[in-house]
Amino acid sequence: MSWRQIYLVLKREYITRVRSKGFIWATILVPVGFAAFLGVIVFISVWESDTSFEIGIKDDTASVASSLAEMNPARYRDLTMLTADSLRNMVQNESITGYIIISEENITNEKDLELIYSGSGGIQLLTSVRSDIREVIREERLKRANVSEEIQQIYDSSIGLESRRLTAEGQEEDDDTLFLSAVGMVMGIIIFGAIFSYGGYVTRGVIEEKTNRIIEVIASSVRPIELLTGKMAGVGLLAITQFGIWMIAFFGLSTLAGPIAASFMENQSGAMNPEMSETQAELPAFLDFPTLETSLFVYFIIFLILGYALYSSLFAAIGSASDSDTDTQQLMLPVAAPIFVAYFIMLHAWRSPDSMLSVISSMVPFFSPILMTTRIAITEVPFWQIGLSIVLMIVAFAGTMWLSAKIYKVGILSYGSTPGFKEILKWIKQ
Amino acid sequence: MTTIDVNNLTKQFGDTKAVNNVSFSVEKGRIFGLLGPNGAGKTTTIRMINYILPQDSGTITINGLKVGPATQKMIGYMPEERGLYKKMKVGEQLVYLAQLKGLSAHDAKDKIRYWLKRFDAYDWHSKKVGELSKGMSQKIQFIATIVHDPAIYIFDEPFSGLDPINSELLKQIIIELRSNGKTILFSTHRMEQVEQMCDDICLFNNGKVVLTGNLRKVKKDFGKNTVLIEFEGDPGFLDELENVRINNRSTNFAEIRLLEGQNHQDILRKAMNASDIHKFQLVEPSLNEIFISTVGEDNIKNKEVLA
Repeated sequence: MSWRQIYLVLKREYITRVRSKGFIWATILVPVGFAAFLGVIVFISVWESDTSFEIGIKDDTASVASSLAEMNPARYRDLTMLTADSLRNMVQNESITGYIIISEENITNEKDLELIYSGSGGIQLLTSVRSDIREVIREERLKRANVSEEIQQIYDSSIGLESRRLTAEGQEEDDDTLFLSAVGMVMGIIIFGAIFSYGGYVTRGVIEEKTNRIIEVIASSVRPIELLTGKMAGVGLLAITQFGIWMIAFFGLSTLAGPIAASFMENQSGAMNPEMSETQAELPAFLDFPTLETSLFVYFIIFLILGYALYSSLFAAIGSASDSDTDTQQLMLPVAAPIFVAYFIMLHAWRSPDSMLSVISSMVPFFSPILMTTRIAITEVPFWQIGLSIVLMIVAFAGTMWLSAKIYKVGILSYGSTPGFKEILKWIKQ
Repeated sequence: MTTIDVNNLTKQFGDTKAVNNVSFSVEKGRIFGLLGPNGAGKTTTIRMINYILPQDSGTITINGLKVGPATQKMIGYMPEERGLYKKMKVGEQLVYLAQLKGLSAHDAKDKIRYWLKRFDAYDWHSKKVGELSKGMSQKIQFIATIVHDPAIYIFDEPFSGLDPINSELLKQIIIELRSNGKTILFSTHRMEQVEQMCDDICLFNNGKVVLTGNLRKVKKDFGKNTVLIEFEGDPGFLDELENVRINNRSTNFAEIRLLEGQNHQDILRKAMNASDIHKFQLVEPSLNEIFISTVGEDNIKNKEVLA
């Protein structure tokens, strides 16, 4: 292998791509898209409660309608004086969303209530109405049973759970598990996306050389393994450049956006009930990036690079065996499958990062990039696990690179029908 | 002095022997033609000489060196399937290709400037290849092949797909290269190009070499046993001739190869009876005829593409 040749290939791959309009636009648009995405999240959380669904209550017992109206005046309206028929009419001409008729039986016996409504509001409306109704009926029952104030309070109680982490050094820290879980999941998804998009660059780059028919000229100057290595390294460097730009943009954006969003949230939350404002006030913490450990970012980059290296060698092999983008589809399946499996395991690992499934699958080289990153973000992963997974990935990379070099060498000079797996196996054996 | 030496070269793809125990040698400063119908194994042989494909057995040496990355740099190769990076600028692309052949960026730029000027293509320097016409990009392809000033040039079917202007240009380049002492090997399935340019030839059929040597000598060895006849009148007499093979026949022209026992004077007499003779010449057989009579008419693969 000649490093000079690899360097020349790398340089060309990198420079032509980094100057391309597609790259420049993607680099600009992704942070803009991210900012827009955050904006949308803030917007949703602020304006979500705005749409109100009015429910008419015809309370024949005259005992719970008032407490419901008190609980959420915007939602419940005491319409006891109307007949069932006129309530139906109101629903039909959309002046209320629905109505509930409460009779004595509903309070004394365990008889289910019925909400007659237009169907709008979705599950969220149904759940909140259900819990509201349960609460007022339980209160009413307690009242009728003449229980003491004390017992009523017991029923009203709702104990929270706060958590703090105790480190090995004996220091207690604020527990950011919720926040870190979100970070872990986002990082896993980013690696998932990065493997596919940069791997796709490699595949298309290989196909482009084949369809341009320049490959034979190149092959008369460069060994296939040098070309393959240079190509993968060039696109890898491109990935690092792009992520570097994004991270800088991200830190810049979050230091700016954090305070702005926080002040915005404060104004809003004052108007809401106290329980709501507590959860709302935590949202800006999502933008409070600097509390993350640097080591997490280092691992993120390491696993991103290793994951890219592992998969891009296979993506290059796919490209070499195909004549066009559409040809790649049938060959893509066995390479894409482990990435998707890792993604689905991540959706589990995100909630339970220390389960047997999470631990074992995070050490499988093809899953590590996504799963180990997620786990490192969320939980305390023993160093031997991280180290072992890195070693295993390097070993696996040597394997895929060997395999891919064999396929690539034959593939780049084969034109015509896309080979099946049987034929590719023959190439490997050659 | 032998520049390219090919010895007992064999390459198999699956069950087919694409190249079967092939040996030939290319002398320094000469134009060597690799001939044969499509599928005869020419491209496979050329790829092995360029160290693009590994051989199954046999040896190839270039200036005494076994083929490898070092010999690749001695060769300027233009494959049959030509192409360039469409999205790259002409100048940058040529620098890249020259650097891959071992030139420094600075030397490459100087040489590229020279060749672009010489081909009246200097204005295209900053254009993307995708914006060039087909003829223009063919010129760029020539430059890419010769820019690093190698000692050996290999062209695989160089004239296929070229427009007449570029075809002529390439011929000039090849002849100029030879007069500068360079060695040229090219392959073709079109025999008449060989007759005009080659010093030495090697005939391929079905992966095997059927004939190799100096073109003049090969022709001479076949003797003057071919008649070129130009006439006006009924060409029916041609069909009545026996023990001949008519190769290149049109309404008032024919190339007639005399087979055993046939006398050219008899043909002349028959022709005179039937038509008006404008020209009657006894010549050495064409390469096409040599090829057919060496291989045997029935053994030629892809006969229809042989012209």
